[in-house]
Amino acid sequence: MNYDLTTVAGLGSGYLALLFGIAFITERGWIPAKIVHHPIVYVLSLGVFASVWAYYTSVGNALRDGYGYLAQSIGISLAFLFSPLLLRPILELTRTYQLSSLADLMAFRYRSPWAGTATTLVILIAVTPLIALQISAVADTAEILSPEAGHGSMAFGFCVIITLFAILFGTSRRAGRTQHDGLVMAIAFESLVKLIAFLSVGAFAIFGGFGGMEGLQLWLQDQPQLIDSLKETDYLSSFHVMALLFFTAAVAMPHMFYATFNQNNGQRGLSFASWGLPLYFLLLSLPVLPILWAGLQSGSQVQVEYFPVVIGVAYQAPFFTLLAYLGGLSAASGLIIVITLALSNMCLNHLILPIYQPTAKHDIYRWLLWKRRFLITALIWSGFLFHYLPSDRISLQVIGTVSFTAGLQFLPGIVAMLYWPQANKKGFISGLLAGVLIWLMFLMLPMISGSGSLSLVAISWREVTAFSLLANCLLFVVVSLRSSTTDAERSSAEICTLDTIKRRKRSGLVAKSPNDFIKSLSKPLGDRTANREVTQALKDLNISDDDRRPYAMRLLRGRLEANLSGLLGPSIAREIIDSYLPYSIVSQYGSSDLNVIENRIEAYRSNLSGMAADLDSLRRYHRQILLDLPLGVCSLSSDNEIVIWNRALEEFTQINAADVIGSQLADLPEPWLSLLENFVNEDANHSYKTNFDLSGHKKSVNLHKALIEKRSDQGSSHEGVIVLLEDITEMEILEAGLTHSERLASIGRLAAGVAHEIGNPITGIACLAQTIRDEFESDELQNLAAQIIEQTNRTSKILQALVNFAHAGANKTHYEHEIVVISDCMEEAKTLISLDTKSKDLQFQLECDPEAKILGDSQRLLQVLVNLINNARDASPIDGKISLQARIEGDQVRIAITDEGIGIPAVIRDRIFDPFFTTKEAGEGTGLGLSLVFSIVEDLDGDIDIISPANKINHTGTQVILRFPCYHDESESNTGTENQQANMQQAV
Amino acid sequence: MYIPRSILILLVVIYLLFLLSVDWINQADGAWYRPFLVGFLVVIVASWAHREQDSDEL
Repeated sequence: MNYDLTTVAGLGSGYLALLFGIAFITERGWIPAKIVHHPIVYVLSLGVFASVWAYYTSVGNALRDGYGYLAQSIGISLAFLFSPLLLRPILELTRTYQLSSLADLMAFRYRSPWAGTATTLVILIAVTPLIALQISAVADTAEILSPEAGHGSMAFGFCVIITLFAILFGTSRRAGRTQHDGLVMAIAFESLVKLIAFLSVGAFAIFGGFGGMEGLQLWLQDQPQLIDSLKETDYLSSFHVMALLFFTAAVAMPHMFYATFNQNNGQRGLSFASWGLPLYFLLLSLPVLPILWAGLQSGSQVQVEYFPVVIGVAYQAPFFTLLAYLGGLSAASGLIIVITLALSNMCLNHLILPIYQPTAKHDIYRWLLWKRRFLITALIWSGFLFHYLPSDRISLQVIGTVSFTAGLQFLPGIVAMLYWPQANKKGFISGLLAGVLIWLMFLMLPMISGSGSLSLVAISWREVTAFSLLANCLLFVVVSLRSSTTDAERSSAEICTLDTIKRRKRSGLVAKSPNDFIKSLSKPLGDRTANREVTQALKDLNISDDDRRPYAMRLLRGRLEANLSGLLGPSIAREIIDSYLPYSIVSQYGSSDLNVIENRIEAYRSNLSGMAADLDSLRRYHRQILLDLPLGVCSLSSDNEIVIWNRALEEFTQINAADVIGSQLADLPEPWLSLLENFVNEDANHSYKTNFDLSGHKKSVNLHKALIEKRSDQGSSHEGVIVLLEDITEMEILEAGLTHSERLASIGRLAAGVAHEIGNPITGIACLAQTIRDEFESDELQNLAAQIIEQTNRTSKILQALVNFAHAGANKTHYEHEIVVISDCMEEAKTLISLDTKSKDLQFQLECDPEAKILGDSQRLLQVLVNLINNARDASPIDGKISLQARIEGDQVRIAITDEGIGIPAVIRDRIFDPFFTTKEAGEGTGLGLSLVFSIVEDLDGDIDIISPANKINHTGTQVILRFPCYHDESESNTGTENQQANMQQAV
Repeated sequence: MYIPRSILILLVVIYLLFLLSVDWINQADGAWYRPFLVGFLVVIVASWAHREQDSDEL
């Protein structure tokens, strides 16, 4: 059964056009992001690894090696099943440092552009046969279906279409920076088609070829040699080597590296793929044997590898032939596209850019894009040329094996990257070159020369592989141990090695702000690119563009290096960053960036277990103590960078920790800068009652500091300073108040004593004056005597007030406990005040609830009211009104005395109850009135409140409000008659 | 080096399965798809070992 050329070509072109469509609608966002970023799509995109090798070659392998054909699936599955050992740490590195290929990774780890270049060259040589293999398989199957088509023309046509697709969608955006969602979807679709096609053909082989499982079993019983070859264990000798090849290929082969690490949507995707990809390969391996047996049963003379396509023809089922052809086309096209994209990046970053870099005048993005497109084209067409090179049709298995064996040479470098910090670039490059040389001489050259076998002499492929790997490992280890390792390499090793949490040095940068970064980077990259890259890095880190913290600047530098690494490769990126964003001071031992370390531990927490987890819990506990301490805690590094700024300090200073952590002490605003800087620089470790002014308010703090002891003899004298700051402003105020009260109390006691002592002579003077007045008739003498008596009376009153004040509170027990009717008391007070001539021009307005009563001493309350009304009178203008109100408010009696005076200035409001404080003229008042009022009101279980100004509109007047517990007479409330009787008795 | 416990369990399970199943798979009258049954078993254990660890609490 033959197909015409149009059908075969049309089917191939139509299928590739469908892929265009899927990629296009994905890029346009027509497929929901939820689907595009689903882990299943990621797993299917990893199915790109199942190239023509898995699709066609495995059938031939099954005939030769029996179950040995499963080596590919088992090798790649092991890499994913144990992803935490190899893939997960590499994923972390590639995502953190934007490393888009194995060459980037090697250049980054071994800190040498040569490591990247050597890796790229080896991979370039290794995968060209693999590309040729795909082209060859597509052309072969097309030729089988349509012999008239011609191998060459089909290969040519396939390359043209594939080149277009790779260019259009692979480089539509900046590679290495953004995920190519369209490409991922297209590759995932291809993998799905490949799986469905292969499973369908397998099912057809069983049911169409043998009539079902029973038929297959019966047929197998007649073919004992097949069962024997399937289950013989000879294949085990090369099985583990083959499995190792594919295990390494999971990282070493550029298409797998690209699909696994560049298109990954995080650890979740990798966790899913860790069992999803083994399942995919298991399903893909399942139909191989039925297809092989169906092909053998049909007696087809076509190459065994192409049985998937042949059995449809043999059993008169054209649909399955075309389906198998599409599956093969999917396998080949997927691999070519991804591998050329990945290789183009590698070639650009490690072969072209180290030799020629665009100047700042170029649009770098555009320049890179066109170079990448050129490289994709060159790579696909070099594969096309290569597939003509072998003189005869060499088995697909041979080409694939040679290709994957080259990838194995990276295994020592990859393992050492993660697990051996002593490894260096010299060791890596020498080992790689030795291994590759053996591979080239004994595998590659014989294949190209067309010897048809896998070795020049009588050495098997397995032995060549073992020798090359052995030579590689030996040289790698010996050279690494015997040669010197640079500091940069050591630093990279620390980053890559799993045992070490990175100790990023805390060093100062010459560039102090994002603007400085842009200015510096404009020289090599141009204004536009520098601006765009710095803005992108700031956005990635969520740092504002006016942030100047050294910590933030260090993070920005690291992010810029990572982002530029994705664009230009790690070697060029590092060169640019080191040259244009240099460090001003490189800190020494003990200057690790604790904040960065802490962030990394926080991110790594879920992976900690056992003692590491316990230590982390302890760390968090101690940190929490510092953060929650009610004292302000500020920790400074040896170069005065702020490391800790706790919550109490945040509240006190109103400065957020996030704003100051990582910045220099000198960047703090005043007054904190002077306060802390002076204290840190002085010798004393304690400073008590340090006063400073904060927004017009006086603040007082106690400061304590301790040096954080260094952990070794290296470097500076200490690792930093911890400063404790204790806000004692409130305590200071209380202390001042207490001292003031104590002083006043002393004065009061003194005054009372003095009053008592002065009282006796005054009484004597008064007696003598009265005697003079009574004994002498002279008017002049009498007049003088009267004046003396008046003055002594006045003096006696003052002395009495002093004595009363001194005794106030002390004689509380002598207070009467009687029912005091407020209205009566207020009436009496008003009457007493009215007697004074000063009160004649005032109006008194009395509003009293007759039911308002309290339990207390009426004379004391009268004293209070008289004092307050006197004050109101003194403050009131002529014809002023004084309002006296009393009413019941709940369980309280509220008494309000309101005047229309000038009010009490705010500055003295807090002091009016102080003894001896008065605003009156000397001799007018003692300053004891309100103090006495305060004492009596307290003794009567009341409280006093002053509102000034009472009139909010005119800003005049003062209102004094007294509140006392209301007295409720139960008998009164029960019977009104008793009340009346009591009133009558009072009247009588 | 940190290796999650579940991965160590997976390693042991795969090793034991390999030891126990080699003879069973290679029995002369055994079905040809026996290796795949073992493979599916490994995938099931692996899906458990790589289940998502939501909790970050220690």
